[in-house]
Amino acid sequence: MDELDLLKKQWQSREQDLPRLTYNDIYKMLLKKSSSIVKWIFIISIAELIFWTSLIFLLPDSYKQITNEMGIGDLILYSNIIHYCIFATFIFYFYKNYRSIKVTDNTQQLMRNILKTRKTVKYFVFYNIGMFILLSIIINIIYYTKSDRLYEVMKFGEQGVPKEDFVSVFLISEAIVIVLFVALLMLFYWLVYGLLLRRLNKNYKELKKIEL
Amino acid sequence: MIFVTKDPNSTLIQKPTTTKSLNKELEHSFVTQLEENQNIVHKICRLYTNNNDAHNDLFQEITIQLWRAFPKFRGDSKFSTWMYRVALNTAITLYRKSKRTINTQDFEGVSFKITAEAYDDTVEQQLKLMYSAVKDLNDIDKALVFLYLEDKNYKEISETLGITEVNARVKMNRIKEKLRTILNP
Repeated sequence: MDELDLLKKQWQSREQDLPRLTYNDIYKMLLKKSSSIVKWIFIISIAELIFWTSLIFLLPDSYKQITNEMGIGDLILYSNIIHYCIFATFIFYFYKNYRSIKVTDNTQQLMRNILKTRKTVKYFVFYNIGMFILLSIIINIIYYTKSDRLYEVMKFGEQGVPKEDFVSVFLISEAIVIVLFVALLMLFYWLVYGLLLRRLNKNYKELKKIEL
Repeated sequence: MIFVTKDPNSTLIQKPTTTKSLNKELEHSFVTQLEENQNIVHKICRLYTNNNDAHNDLFQEITIQLWRAFPKFRGDSKFSTWMYRVALNTAITLYRKSKRTINTQDFEGVSFKITAEAYDDTVEQQLKLMYSAVKDLNDIDKALVFLYLEDKNYKEISETLGITEVNARVKMNRIKEKLRTILNP
């Protein structure tokens, strides 16, 4: 008999010193709220979806005025329509994947479904960051080619900014804002999901290793 | 002419079972069965946590997950069999280790109740060593060992974890080998 079988025999024949809960102790537990990672992924995902959708509404009117006067109002409008179609697709897949998470599935299936739900949201965020960068580049190229008009629209002359410096100052500050924004987002996601899913990812890999 | 009058005391006229009373029945049946089988959950909590706070936390989370899944529990398997899967899934996958599990006192190995019988000291010592070696395994290996200790066959183990029976067997032999070298260096 090997050592584990010895432990097995003792495990079953001897009574372990385990706590004993009463009917009422257990009953009270039913009223408590879950704090599982699935719940957290759900809450954070919804927050992300709301955040990325509301960004469009948060743009100040002066921004819209400038884009209209620069003649790119149509570009913004069409990109918004496309954005909402893609957004609806993401919502659909997110909901579908979230519903497929069942604690009664086998461990591997359960882990796979959780990671799939998380991946949907990850792609949504990647898509948003990608679109943000792409649109910024396109808009800035247009601004650059029409820099004379931009100088007039932004009323920089009234603020005493000389025309020669204006284009470089404007584009550099735009670039800095974009890089900072993306870096902050990456850090945020790395923190939130890195910490939340570290253990699950580790265990999933461990389980996949058995299959090799 | 016959008038049919409704007898107010007729047993045929039953009060419609309200959702509320149905819920009460469900709750009662669930709590009773969990109370009976709570040792399974406690054993998992012991293996996967290191102190009382974490133990209670995990027990609480497992209870919630069991209760949520309970309406779909058909009773075609035993309640305890069904519990293994949900409880282990919660411990391995869903449970977030809370911060307060750090810096608190650890359980001292396993404490089997010592009965009147005199136990061989070396056997006792070996068991403690064995138990702490099992506790040091990774989450997945621990689940395999736990199901093995609970006398589940390889078919059940493979179905619970979602791996093939052959792979479960191979992995179990490797774990046994590992534990053997820990005990007999």
